[in-house]
Amino acid sequence: MTKEERLKKRHKAEKRFRFYGVVSILVALLFVLILVQNIFSKGSSAFKKTVINVEIFFDQELLEIKNGASENEIIEADFYDVAIESLIKAYPTKNLKEENQLLKLFSGDAEFEIKQAFLDNNNLIGKKINLNITASDDIDQLHKGNYPRDLPEDRRRISDFQLVIYDFLVENDKIGKNFNNYFFKNGDSRDPELAGIGGALVGSFYSILICLLLAFPVAVLASIYLEEFAPKNKITDFIEININNLAAVPSIVYGLLALQILLATIQLPRSTPLVAGITLALMTLPRIIIPCRASLKAVPPSIREGALAVGASKFQSVFHHVVPLALPGTLSGTIIGLAQALGETAPLILIGMVAFVVDIPSSPVDPSSSLPVQVYLWSESAERGFVEKTSATIMMLLSFLIVMNFLAVYLRQKFEKRWN
Amino acid sequence: MNNIKIKSKNLNVYYGEKQALYDVNLDLNEKEVTALIGPSGCGKSTFIRCINRMNDVIDICKVTGNIEMDGIEINDKDLDVVSLRERVGMVFQKPNPFPKSIYDNVSYGPKIHGKGESKNELDEIVEHSLKKAALWEEVKDRLEEPGTSLSGGQQQRLCIARAISVNPEVILMDEPCSALDPIATAKIEELIDELKKTYTIVIVTHSMAQAVRVSQKTGFFHLGKLIEVGKTEKIFKNPDNKMTQDYITGRFG
Repeated sequence: MTKEERLKKRHKAEKRFRFYGVVSILVALLFVLILVQNIFSKGSSAFKKTVINVEIFFDQELLEIKNGASENEIIEADFYDVAIESLIKAYPTKNLKEENQLLKLFSGDAEFEIKQAFLDNNNLIGKKINLNITASDDIDQLHKGNYPRDLPEDRRRISDFQLVIYDFLVENDKIGKNFNNYFFKNGDSRDPELAGIGGALVGSFYSILICLLLAFPVAVLASIYLEEFAPKNKITDFIEININNLAAVPSIVYGLLALQILLATIQLPRSTPLVAGITLALMTLPRIIIPCRASLKAVPPSIREGALAVGASKFQSVFHHVVPLALPGTLSGTIIGLAQALGETAPLILIGMVAFVVDIPSSPVDPSSSLPVQVYLWSESAERGFVEKTSATIMMLLSFLIVMNFLAVYLRQKFEKRWN
Repeated sequence: MNNIKIKSKNLNVYYGEKQALYDVNLDLNEKEVTALIGPSGCGKSTFIRCINRMNDVIDICKVTGNIEMDGIEINDKDLDVVSLRERVGMVFQKPNPFPKSIYDNVSYGPKIHGKGESKNELDEIVEHSLKKAALWEEVKDRLEEPGTSLSGGQQQRLCIARAISVNPEVILMDEPCSALDPIATAKIEELIDELKKTYTIVIVTHSMAQAVRVSQKTGFFHLGKLIEVGKTEKIFKNPDNKMTQDYITGRFG
């Protein structure tokens, strides 16, 4: 082989390698794109809800309160009759059966929406106002085009008569889409149009907060001690190996551990962010210790020597010089650990976070759900409305993860100091 | 002849199984520059790191024998290394300023030793140290800039200023010019000449010319043993030992 041929071969090998690299990146990007596109196309409609515009008549005879009634009196009052009487006027019906079908177009919460409107403007007695009432899940999905209307009637959840009403409403411009505040405000519900991630958001927030408060200080102190102060001997080697092992333990094992120790033995309240936070902290600890130690290790020894040489004690050299320099890496490691904890589902299922919780938790010891578990719960539900809710929840979860990872990169770049 | 400041007696150093110094007996004179020369790995740096106990950082390092400063045993477990290092400063091979401002680099030492209670006193110490390190004129208008933004030679002078800032009695220099260009080296050498009026200086160097220029006394190390020590003039003109002769004439090393 001549020198030229050899040179050519070397160049070719490099070109080939570059090509493989580009191809693998493109393939990876394609998968991400498919994933994002899929989630977006399914989930984006969940941020809107279908509403039906209805004229509500606050009939004094049906309401047992007067104008200027106190807030408590209104809350106590029964708006059921007002709701029924107003809603059945949305379309001319002939009999009770048709009336019932018409009423099923509206969400079960219609009565409370009407009450809320009354609360907001407390002198409506004897007056008529137009209100946007949330539609039922079936109509919601039909209006969003997620529901096939060309199936035979006996295989549809929506009857022919309801379709007629729907078309009438569309023709008269009585039906539309509003921002879905329920999705952010409400807890879980059996009715998809009312279900929201409010409870899961608060639950996830408390869990991660507790996880951070427990895991961060312990992990940072453990890393500093192991890296800077601990003697290098068999015991510390053993600890180091086991930290790495712990980071690789499947998260469900931590769930089992929490189930036995936190719930069965210590008897902490089940299904709560408190238990979730402790479990996630256990799981996250080794995952924070490892990057923490790596960033401490990355601080050049010359900085330590420089500090020691002017007479700083070991403690001063570590806390005045090494730790501040390792801080960006430590923080980004922590955030990435927390991001993993935020998306963790398996251990939470074991400690009972899969319970059906309607109320939004007001403290970390109230039963609650969390975002990934909510995804898991809804993905199993049969109702069509939960499909978009599931995807929308994934979108929320992903956006939190992206924000956290971005923050990690930003912190590292902003505060990283160069020492050469 | 100046007084003896530091005296080592039968000093042995081990890194684990490996012995790095064999029975070193070396006296260092006060307010004089002692140069330590010898091929790489001969134990020069190990020796000076015994004087401020920097070897403590290395877990596997063991030191036996005696090394005294003003009659006080340095190689004593109960000795407080913090106050020892306040008296024995060190400048390293590669400039290692803290990634902080020039001011903070110099004021750090006085601060941790409780010198300079007020901002004014600290300012004075910083100015004095930088002046002594012949850096003041170059940096007086940018004390808040990071020390790492200076050139290599300036960084090394900053490290010297940092060592001076705690007002030590001895300054150890471990090949302070090996990472610098000739001009920066010349400046540091001038500085060493000036500093020896106040401090006892020990400098490890690979440059024989530098040893001749800056030192009054020279010790030649080889394979962990102190082969010969004497007045610099004598060592370079008329050494007693054949090995010294070979080394300074460039026959090995």
